[in-house]
Amino acid sequence: MPASDAAERLLNLIIALSHARGRMTRAEIRATVSGYDAERGGDTAERARRRTSAFERMFERDKEDLRRIGIPLKTVVDATHGDDIGYVIDAGEASMPPIDMTPVERAILAVAAEYWQNAALGMDARRAFVKISSSMPRAEEVPLHLAARSTEGSDAAPAIAQAIADGQAVAFTYTSAASGRGERTVEPWRLVVRGGRLYLLGRDRDRGEARTYRLSRIEGAIRPVGERAAFEPPDEVEVLALEGEVPTLVARVGLRAESGHALRRRASFVSTAGEWDVFDVPFSDTEALRDEILSLGGAARVLEPEDLATAVRTHAEAALAIAGAEGGGRG
Amino acid sequence: MAEMAVPRLTRLLGIVTHLEEHGEATFDELAQHFGVTAETIKRDIDTLWCAGLPGYGMTDLLDFDGFAYDDGIARLTNSQGVRQVRLAPAEAMALMGALAAMIASGTAPEAATGALAALSAAVTDANPVTVIRAAPVNPGVVEALRAGIEQKRAVAVTYVDAQDRRTSRVIEPHRLVTVDGLGYVECYCRRAGDYRTLRLDRIEVAGRTDDSATALPRAASGFTLEPAYSATVRVARAGRWAFEDLPGAVLAVDGDDVVATFGVANPDVVVARLLAVAPSLGSVEPASLRERLGEAARAVLAAG
Repeated sequence: MPASDAAERLLNLIIALSHARGRMTRAEIRATVSGYDAERGGDTAERARRRTSAFERMFERDKEDLRRIGIPLKTVVDATHGDDIGYVIDAGEASMPPIDMTPVERAILAVAAEYWQNAALGMDARRAFVKISSSMPRAEEVPLHLAARSTEGSDAAPAIAQAIADGQAVAFTYTSAASGRGERTVEPWRLVVRGGRLYLLGRDRDRGEARTYRLSRIEGAIRPVGERAAFEPPDEVEVLALEGEVPTLVARVGLRAESGHALRRRASFVSTAGEWDVFDVPFSDTEALRDEILSLGGAARVLEPEDLATAVRTHAEAALAIAGAEGGGRG
Repeated sequence: MAEMAVPRLTRLLGIVTHLEEHGEATFDELAQHFGVTAETIKRDIDTLWCAGLPGYGMTDLLDFDGFAYDDGIARLTNSQGVRQVRLAPAEAMALMGALAAMIASGTAPEAATGALAALSAAVTDANPVTVIRAAPVNPGVVEALRAGIEQKRAVAVTYVDAQDRRTSRVIEPHRLVTVDGLGYVECYCRRAGDYRTLRLDRIEVAGRTDDSATALPRAASGFTLEPAYSATVRVARAGRWAFEDLPGAVLAVDGDDVVATFGVANPDVVVARLLAVAPSLGSVEPASLRERLGEAARAVLAAG
């Protein structure tokens, strides 16, 4: 069945369930909503069974599509109808509230909607933009001289956003530098964007602790686990671990003239020694400062502390060994 | 390929809501507003016209004025109560995250803050995304660049490049762009005599000039750095972070190692990454990249 018919069927389902007095059972939906394959007389038992299971699959997919665009079907069990489940849509609750936005603000949103190159996030962002645009008046295009792109993005992000809203735990396969590849079960709290990178902050159920996960290291699908509304995230989620700590250490570093500007800007000048300008650089992360010194390719030298100087030397020597190796490296 | 159901459904709901709020519109006007062709809008109207309440009799269906339709005008006469639906959690996250990333990168005009506030007000669930500023940008610099873009004037800047060389240049700014959370200005650089994309957080000072811009903006979006060649690096798993965000990087796990293949647009950037994970490196290809790595390593040891 072409997908264009799916949009029409979903629209008919929304209209039917928004107007239904009380609720509609699956059987009622199948019999009356246009686009579903209603039961017919004259089918063999086998054929009827096949068509019923095709309807069930289609209806499950439609429920999932409606949930994805923000219309959760509510289930109502009516005692007088046995255990038959019925469905309703609360049209008032589902509808878009009024948006107060200027044409310039909408034009900026249009740029933001094109940010994610990732297919799943891109589709979500563009749908959000169409929804925001719906009730806004038409206006001339506003030239902004502005663009935005993100090459990172993760198919996991939309499912995690949904799970955060639902208060539902998720399970996924994750690879970390520290502990290798394994299964994680996490109560998701927040998504964090830093630079181009996406992170999930949440509580790891097996470790019983708050953890940070980089979304690009998640393999495969996000699987919802257990009930919705199963946990409450803390009021104040600590994102400090990602922001970098407050510098508490000081390194003494020599910089050649007209170099190391980024370091100079956050350091204090000590003296000039020969061709070197000597600075004190506050830092918290030895590895980050080591990498910065390495990237200066000889325009910087570490005077103190010794462990930083050793780390820089060790890395340069290792690099030299690889660079000089026959055939490009170790066996 | 037929359009997927979910985006199309979202637009169908949007068209009805728009016509309800603002009255009739031509197919062309709707096409511009929703970013699709007029033919698509016509198909959408055809679909809407057949939808409605179970029974699907004359009074059950959404209805349009048939004469107006023949003139290419959508005039809705019965909406059957159809309305656009609120943002789903993933939709809110994707759009608000993108907007907040633009604001944090320093490229977004002031009105972006208003747009973010208006979005937040329309979302019932708490916004599930936090954006952390990756690199602080001097607002005065952005203001000078934006004025240069709008007035088509050259701007004098002091720039510190990725290899920490400080230069004074006169640039003709064309566009501000956010790429992976960082802010850049696309410009014509008179010093280089070519088009450049400069990182905003590396511009220390920017001042206006009275010089008119001479170079036209490039037609194609210029902010994808073209890789000059492809490199392949074998690294122990602990070092994979150094390569996973390089443009076009493909990482394959091989035992305890990861084999990363990526495009090299700027060898200095790649050499810095290689140095950072040097003890975990297994091999580096091609030989030209190895030579650059060797030169850098020797320079570091000579200085230390």
